[in-house]
Amino acid sequence: MIDIVINYLTEPWQTTILLCVVFACVSSGVLSPIVVSSRMAFFSDAVAHSTLAGVALGMLLGVGSPVTTMIAFAVIVALLIATLRQYTTLALDTLLGVAMAGSLAFGVLIYEKVRGYSDLHSYLFGSVSLLGTEDLMFLAANAVLALLMVGLFANKFLLVAVSRPLAQARGLPVARYEYLLIVVLGLVVAVGVRAVGLLLVNALLIVPAATSRNLSRSVAGMFWGSVAVALTAGLAGLFLSDWLDFAASPGIVAAAVILFLVSQLLRPLLGHHVAE
Amino acid sequence: MGHEPLLQLNNVTVEAGGKALVRDVSFTLVRGEMIALIGPNGAGKTTLLRAILGLVRYRGKIVIGGRIGYVPQRLQYDRTLPMTVLEFMALTLQSSPVMFGIRRATRRRALELLDHVGATRLARSSLGGLSGGELQRVMLAGALHGAPELLLLDEPAAGVDIEGEATFLELIHRQVHERGATVVLVSHDLSVVSDITDRVICLNVDLKCEGKAKDLLTAERIAEVFGGHKAVYGHHHHH
Repeated sequence: MIDIVINYLTEPWQTTILLCVVFACVSSGVLSPIVVSSRMAFFSDAVAHSTLAGVALGMLLGVGSPVTTMIAFAVIVALLIATLRQYTTLALDTLLGVAMAGSLAFGVLIYEKVRGYSDLHSYLFGSVSLLGTEDLMFLAANAVLALLMVGLFANKFLLVAVSRPLAQARGLPVARYEYLLIVVLGLVVAVGVRAVGLLLVNALLIVPAATSRNLSRSVAGMFWGSVAVALTAGLAGLFLSDWLDFAASPGIVAAAVILFLVSQLLRPLLGHHVAE
Repeated sequence: MGHEPLLQLNNVTVEAGGKALVRDVSFTLVRGEMIALIGPNGAGKTTLLRAILGLVRYRGKIVIGGRIGYVPQRLQYDRTLPMTVLEFMALTLQSSPVMFGIRRATRRRALELLDHVGATRLARSSLGGLSGGELQRVMLAGALHGAPELLLLDEPAAGVDIEGEATFLELIHRQVHERGATVVLVSHDLSVVSDITDRVICLNVDLKCEGKAKDLLTAERIAEVFGGHKAVYGHHHHH
């Protein structure tokens, strides 16, 4: 096990992978408390699913790099959902369900035509072992973006999360902040999906804060706990997957979920009141 | 009490789906005055406050001569969100993210505001664990930031026990006397507000009556405003 860790620290291509995972975990870990508090978990899922259609569309249109169409499509879908939300009486989860099913079906249809079915696997689960310098740049940019969002707007997002009417009454342009969060989430999710797969991006945006919420009584506790959970799961999943010879992405997700289950068991011991 | 108007409403109408929620309401509030806005549920009281806050479209004219502090009606919020009262206060008191630490100046100001409402001991409590009365105090403390000239309180007593209600109203009364605040107190319960307010405005979509509590509150008036339900007077009913 130790030699695996040492390899990750010394072999340049492995160090790249390690840094990719660290950046992916940092961006998800810092955004997770906002996503979970704002009840956007299902939303990020829907946006993540739309990225497939974005990639497929890019290939179909012959755009140089499908990354552009992927990010653009994710952001467009995100904005579309946010806008529809204002003009429909449907519940948000229903709307997201439709968006998710629609963009996934649409994506798979085009994807099969242009590339065959085999690559879907890497789209869903990522290919951590193939991560390179370009991914590292994207994921680093993601982490910077996520940190900037939190650094500049966390208080606003949290006030909206506590109570939308209260935030409105205090003069906050709530809709504008919601759009901002949605666009940034669209970006972060799209870039994340490309590098580490849909499953991992979603899991890391939701599970870390779900875990830290169980154990903390303050925003600070929830936030730092979330970052710690994301990083612990990321590193443990990466090293263990190498050691036990399984794929890294599901390994990281499994590690995060195990941490969540542990937090759920610890919760009563900490004397926290059960959620109403 | 001065005579300078702080809040002026001229023929304010709010409509939704072709139906008037508030119709043609006009009144003026001078500095230092404390009025109660009463009416049955669905009479448009909250809508009128939202119009004053600029949160809904309205016709007519609203002129406000100062900053507004607002305490919402029994706040629906995520009680499972881990957040201390101090962190909640800090959300609006500092621009740096609360998770990166609460600044010393923020802490001092938050404690000062909480002290105004007798709630310093709640600073470290979890926001989700507060009782109805405690939550109202914290909300009032939050609303007092920025030294608002006009306080809008929407059913501040709803969900609060009778003892808590009395002390809460006492707190508001103190704001009026010590800080010269002007207060609009929304209530569906006359008995709560008639003793402490200078003036009562009865609303049921239209303005139904206006004047000193004791002069106005005859049985016929109440019947007129509340559509025959006298139950609102001298009696509690929560929803």
